[in-house]
Amino acid sequence: MFNRSRRNLASWFTLTMGSILIMFAAIVYYWEVIDKLEELDRLLYKKTSVMAANVKSELHNGQRQLDLEHVPLLGSMVQPLPDSQLVYASWYDEQKQLVQFFGTIPSDRLSISGGFDTIKTDSKVWLRQVTLPVYQNSLLIGYLQAAMPMTATENALAEFRMVLAISAPITLGVVALTGWWLGGLAMQPIRHNYDHLQRFTADASHELRSPLTAIISNAQYGFLSKTTDLEVQRQRFHKIFDVAKSMSTLVSNLLFLARYQGKLPTESLQVTDLNNLLVQIIDDYATQPDAQHLSLVSKLLNNSITVLGDADLLRQVVINLLNNSCKYTPAGGQVQLRLFTQSRWAVIQIIDNGIGIPEADLPYIFERFYRVDKKRSRQTGGFGLGLAIAQQIIQAHGGKISIKSVFQKGTTLEITLPLK
Amino acid sequence: MRILLVEDDLEQLEPLQGILSEAGYIVDAAEDGEIAQWLISQKNYDLLIVDWMLPTISGLSLCRQYRLSGKNAPVLMLTAKDTTADKVMGLDAGADDYLVKPADLVELLARVRALGRRVPNWQGYSLRIADLQLHLAELSVERSQVKVELSPREGQLLEYLMRHPNQVLTRNQIEDALWECGMEPESNALTVLIRKLRQRLQLLGAGDWIRTVYGMGYRLNPQESN
Repeated sequence: MFNRSRRNLASWFTLTMGSILIMFAAIVYYWEVIDKLEELDRLLYKKTSVMAANVKSELHNGQRQLDLEHVPLLGSMVQPLPDSQLVYASWYDEQKQLVQFFGTIPSDRLSISGGFDTIKTDSKVWLRQVTLPVYQNSLLIGYLQAAMPMTATENALAEFRMVLAISAPITLGVVALTGWWLGGLAMQPIRHNYDHLQRFTADASHELRSPLTAIISNAQYGFLSKTTDLEVQRQRFHKIFDVAKSMSTLVSNLLFLARYQGKLPTESLQVTDLNNLLVQIIDDYATQPDAQHLSLVSKLLNNSITVLGDADLLRQVVINLLNNSCKYTPAGGQVQLRLFTQSRWAVIQIIDNGIGIPEADLPYIFERFYRVDKKRSRQTGGFGLGLAIAQQIIQAHGGKISIKSVFQKGTTLEITLPLK
Repeated sequence: MRILLVEDDLEQLEPLQGILSEAGYIVDAAEDGEIAQWLISQKNYDLLIVDWMLPTISGLSLCRQYRLSGKNAPVLMLTAKDTTADKVMGLDAGADDYLVKPADLVELLARVRALGRRVPNWQGYSLRIADLQLHLAELSVERSQVKVELSPREGQLLEYLMRHPNQVLTRNQIEDALWECGMEPESNALTVLIRKLRQRLQLLGAGDWIRTVYGMGYRLNPQESN
């Protein structure tokens, strides 16, 4: 599945970038063609202008006389232009009749009145031709037509095309490889999330199916069984009730986890005095059966420490963590609740000298459904969601939660929350 | 039929064990893989019902080891794992049947019956040896249109003997097969039970089918009616 998505991403990337590249190459080539043609035209124009400048027209007895003898290529009185590159040159009079020419034999009459053309000769060579109306004293004295072969321009353009033809596929290849690499990079967090979700779903479905199975089996056993003993039936109902109750806790925990993703909305945040909150929790908690077998010590501050938060959620976190600590601390042990500040943070610590957590389990301890000892947690009624919920609540408050533990020695849980 | 039921969740184990016992099976229950393994090494089971996710040894490796040890009783895997890949893995590990939780107990019982039918003398929901027929559902034994009711215990004894006809079965074997694990029978309990069953079969003219092999045990010796 992921490889297919990655391939898709890479091919779409290559297709898009490739189209942009080809469009870009086409535009660059188009501009190069225009540029080269303009260059050729300028050269041709320069040459024909030099020729035209040498045409002399004089009035002799009211008759206009044209002197083409001093015109390069056309006249005999001048040296031919060195490296003129002109294939032909022709002079037409103002009536567009041919007067004199050099090179191939042109038509007798000029059909156009001026401008640049591209023409193809019989020998299949492309020529650039210019037809220049020549004026003297604002009077049209004739037309000069000349042409240059386009071979040099064509060669330069062919070379440019070759460069594009080689570099474009190479670039496309690089783009494809980059696309594949970027696709992999983009897939990584998705794959990670997917694996996480898969594991979570598998765990959740297992955790939900177990109580469901217990409920269904007990109920079905109840009406399939032939026993008429009321006490036995009552016990069965009791079992169904217990299992359904624990399942309801699990479902509300799961819903809770689903509901509080991300930061809490600002309207639900209130100024909360942590000192007061912890004093209340300690007072309530001391009477709980979990806390009866050990000494619960609190080291709080005298002044108030305020944070922005949801007091109920924060209370739930602290009670959750206290529950854990008390549950896994043997009789006669000690659980400490401490509150202090550290620069701009409020720190709550819950320290116990209980059974601790093996080092190998520590990195996973905040994962949903993670249980160090499956059997023991089940017996104590845990689903492995308590720490995940605590972490989510603290993160939603912009705080952090961390754990330090030495196996068989004890555990320290630390919550840091930004001070108001 | 003797069943080993392996399930780590007590809440699920109890009703399963209850319904199977009420259906007339002898059920040993184990809460983890290690206990199940020990029980398998101690007793011969006719059927194993195994949960996949178990502490210590998983149901999957339990199933594999069971097959590797050469034992061939059917194994029914009962688990919450429901993907096709899981089912394939479970069946390939040696399970004969696969049931996804939450399973209907009625369906579970039907599957247990289906797996229990894998003995050669099975006919309908009854076992047949020569012209003697044991009806398992109504717990009665029939021969030549004469029917005699049996107590659950007598039924279980006759079922065990009929599943192993013509074999000499030691007292220990029979006691192992009939009494649940940890329930020690009194010294003469089996003798009394055999005597009761013989009396029942006597009514059908088959009282001498259960032979006592002196110093060894008992043997079901079917005789064709003349």
